[in-house]
Amino acid sequence: MKEFTEMSGVKLARLIAEHELDEVQVGTASAARSRAMDADLNCFISVYPQPIKGEGDSALRGVPVALKDNISVRGKPLTCASKILSGYTAPYDATVTVRLKQAGLQIIGSTNMDEFAFGSSTENSCYGPTANPWDTGRVPGGSSGGSAAAVAARLVPCALGSDTGGSIRQPAALCGVVGMKPTYGRVSRYGLVAFGSSLDQIGPFTTNFEDCAHLLNVLCGADPRDSTCASVAVPDFTAVLNSGVKGLTIGIPREYYADGLDSQVRAALEEVQEVFAAQGARCVPVSLPHTRYAVAAYYIIASSEASSNLQRFDGIRYGRRVPRDSLGEVYGYSRGSGFGAESKRRIFLGTYCLSSGYYDAYYIRALKVRTLIRRDFEQAFTQADVLLTPTTPAPAFLRGEKTGDPLQMYLSDVFTSSANLAGVPAVSFPCGYTREGLPVGAQLIGRAFDEETLIRAGNAYQQHTAFHARIPEKYGPESV
Amino acid sequence: MDNKDQAQHKVEQIARLARIEITEDERRSLGGQFAQILEYVDALKQVPVEGVPPMRGLHKNDAATREDRVVPSALPPEILRNAPARKDGMFKIPKVIE
Amino acid sequence: MDQNQFETVIGLEVHVQLRTESKIFCACSTEFAQPPNTNVCPVCAGYPGVLPVLNRAVLALAVRVASAFGCTVQESIYFERKNYFYPDLPKNYQISQYKVPLGKNGGVELETGRTICVERVHLEEDAGKLTHKEGGSLVDLNRAGTPLLEIVSMPDIRSPREAFEYLRTLKMILQYIEASDCDMEKGSLRCDANISLRRRGEERLGTKVELKNMNSFRGVRDALTHEQERQKEVLCAGRTVVQETRLWNVDRQRTESMRTKEEAHDYRYFPDPDLPDFSVPDELIAREAARVGELPLARKKRFAERYSLDEGQLEVLVGQKALGDFFEAALKYYSQPREIAKWIIGPFLEQVNALPQGMRGVSISSQNFAKIVQYFSEGKLNNLAAKKVLATAVLSTQDVDEIIREQGLEQISGEDELAGYVRDIISEQQEAVSQYLSGKTQAVMFLVGQVMKKTRGNANPKKVKALFEKELEKKRS
Repeated sequence: MKEFTEMSGVKLARLIAEHELDEVQVGTASAARSRAMDADLNCFISVYPQPIKGEGDSALRGVPVALKDNISVRGKPLTCASKILSGYTAPYDATVTVRLKQAGLQIIGSTNMDEFAFGSSTENSCYGPTANPWDTGRVPGGSSGGSAAAVAARLVPCALGSDTGGSIRQPAALCGVVGMKPTYGRVSRYGLVAFGSSLDQIGPFTTNFEDCAHLLNVLCGADPRDSTCASVAVPDFTAVLNSGVKGLTIGIPREYYADGLDSQVRAALEEVQEVFAAQGARCVPVSLPHTRYAVAAYYIIASSEASSNLQRFDGIRYGRRVPRDSLGEVYGYSRGSGFGAESKRRIFLGTYCLSSGYYDAYYIRALKVRTLIRRDFEQAFTQADVLLTPTTPAPAFLRGEKTGDPLQMYLSDVFTSSANLAGVPAVSFPCGYTREGLPVGAQLIGRAFDEETLIRAGNAYQQHTAFHARIPEKYGPESV
Repeated sequence: MDNKDQAQHKVEQIARLARIEITEDERRSLGGQFAQILEYVDALKQVPVEGVPPMRGLHKNDAATREDRVVPSALPPEILRNAPARKDGMFKIPKVIE
Repeated sequence: MDQNQFETVIGLEVHVQLRTESKIFCACSTEFAQPPNTNVCPVCAGYPGVLPVLNRAVLALAVRVASAFGCTVQESIYFERKNYFYPDLPKNYQISQYKVPLGKNGGVELETGRTICVERVHLEEDAGKLTHKEGGSLVDLNRAGTPLLEIVSMPDIRSPREAFEYLRTLKMILQYIEASDCDMEKGSLRCDANISLRRRGEERLGTKVELKNMNSFRGVRDALTHEQERQKEVLCAGRTVVQETRLWNVDRQRTESMRTKEEAHDYRYFPDPDLPDFSVPDELIAREAARVGELPLARKKRFAERYSLDEGQLEVLVGQKALGDFFEAALKYYSQPREIAKWIIGPFLEQVNALPQGMRGVSISSQNFAKIVQYFSEGKLNNLAAKKVLATAVLSTQDVDEIIREQGLEQISGEDELAGYVRDIISEQQEAVSQYLSGKTQAVMFLVGQVMKKTRGNANPKKVKALFEKELEKKRS
């Protein structure tokens, strides 16, 4: 059954529905292949002994899916790739988990990530780093690197990740797959372990936009358990797949093409513009003047929220406890030894930014800058329907290359964090390969609640190009 | 006080607030990195923000309340099962001195 | 130094549990005294990945309280996180309101005519409960997430007695508007106090001490009295009061320093990103303000003017809203306020207090009650019979006339019928008759008693007495 490694989720579901393929065998085969390939990739934290499957039906019924290990699946361990959650079993399903079950997908396991989603390389995991399927010496990006790598290696046709400052789009770019961060409020966060509550969104990894649209249909919609989830009508995202880009105005924000952008990335993006132009879209220059402040504002806001969100990991009610005679020491040592270095850095930064005397200078100021960044987008969207940018300044870097320099690592989010701050949807898709054979990602950013334009443009692009169909050699149809 | 001093000065106080025990090595390395990060985020101080409201809440959602109705949770046993130490249906912790 | 040169300045922080079925941010029950950790779910246990969703009844009740105090209510509210580690606080932050409280600048009018300003009222979630045992402490999260309203007074209170009076009034108001049960024993009302002393005439406030651990209104008053005296002594001795938190030790009847090194708290308040802003629409404010209705003090004044009741009666009838309501409802059927009041405060309350649910367990309609009082006043029922009827009627919806008929309790007032009994007894009780005729007129009561016995208490004793006197006087002549 090796042939379905190159199939899209939709095609797989169709063959299952037509009884050409057996659902159980598909799940078992996907799990078996994941286990086999994981020796090199380490993209799974756990491949379940039996896939978890709901009874529902949808255009994706029977399709294997993997979940980033910060999304609750009832009865399964949930680790966030952190020692502090060792021994913890989730007693409830995340809303997205419920929806996947209701749509009949089969969950085959949980994927590796940077601890608590703090990182851009999936190197900050207590279960070890994940490798990039295109070059196992390189990082897959992060923090949802496990999900991106699993889809890139065609272990599963689709996976879920979470994106706080680029954690879906950046690894999608580095692994050559489609990764979307929907509008803030589009997908329920209930059951997603919070990092930056005002920025976090769950979103899909797929190999193509058709699967992306189908998966969004499953995931999106208001949830009575999440009051930040918007009660906005959810369209059928597949309806716009073939609408084309004719008449669409695509904004090219100049701040994203400044000096320092990798020349191969720049070249690839210029070609994307040409592909869109050839199909009748109009590309216009726009400006997002506060872009250069996005990463700083993002780190302050995300870390501040995270410092508070992570206080619940204290060794009292669940997870790891270092036994000590005094309560203060239980807190100090459980958290001190349970959190990794990056988690501590973020908690410290956030605690500092919220502390008395610094709150206004850091946190409140960052929120004001956030307002300015949102206004930038509002302004740009008066001139363009969608924005086209590189997803990352450079392709996948080597493992260990940036681990000693947290700040350089943070700058991996330079093109992605603005969309989180503004709350708007954005997607990364493969748009070329470097001479070394590493994927390059392009990013489309849309108006709030307008994922449809992203799908419409992205699918039009994929109908005229074949970058998304390329599979890393080791993981192609001939493998396993 | 420059950022480095400020950071070094603050690290221990923050560790106490965050209830994270750190080693001497960590204190040094965190302090250094922390200073570097602070220097970077200090770039925000250049942005003129007079009259700009801080952004809070992306979407106003007035439907986001629930009715006052009890739905008994079936989960208490599972919730307790996750506890590192328990006794008499409660979470057990070292004695808290009042 | 003269002790009277000091003025006492007190401010109270009161936490009341709002009366809801479910918790503030999840659907767990708020029921009291359940087995530990049974009213818990992933949300109130602070599990990874959960989110709070506001109970809209909580918002409505808070608006009602704010209206009752005449507070300005925010057009839109939001919640903030108060960050600190404590094992009874599952998320290690409390969802509360800090910068912008739901209501501010209200007041509570006391019966003395003084008004204590309410600086702010704000919503927050309660923490769980710790039990300290040998070898460790135990955490029960049943209470975690219970909706609380914090009511902060200005430092307007001038004596421990006034603090007591303020609390009593506050409690009555909250019970009147059905916002809280205010039961200190069940933890649905808690009170901390700030107290300082200053020289009379001085504007500046003295160093304040925070008092905690008071478990009753009397405890608050006693703790404040003790602390007031302690501070006077300190000041008179030329020393200075230390700003600190002191705990009331009820057994030793004194306040004691917490002695724990007060680490400078840094709660790192910031807006909770898990909760959107909630608008407080004018319609909600109007609706809740309408539900406030008449407050106890106003009712007391009105009752005093309209019904000319004495202070004791007023206290009782106004003390419980349901009683006052019942009183006025009964008046519609029998407009004799003093009679109705007497019967409510006496026999009726005696019955009600014996019921486990109190007024809530009562089934009698105000009309039936009024009828009993009326029958008694008109002599249709004697005192004993009326009480008997009432005992049955309190727990029933049956018509009073029917109960009287079934129990055969109707008073015999017909002259002819009673005259028959009187003649019988005169012939049976010759000795008493002679005593009467020989001048011991009090013997007539014995004779009346005999008739009552024969009629099983149903005869109208006044009429029987008059008949005896008439008959016996006839004999004399």
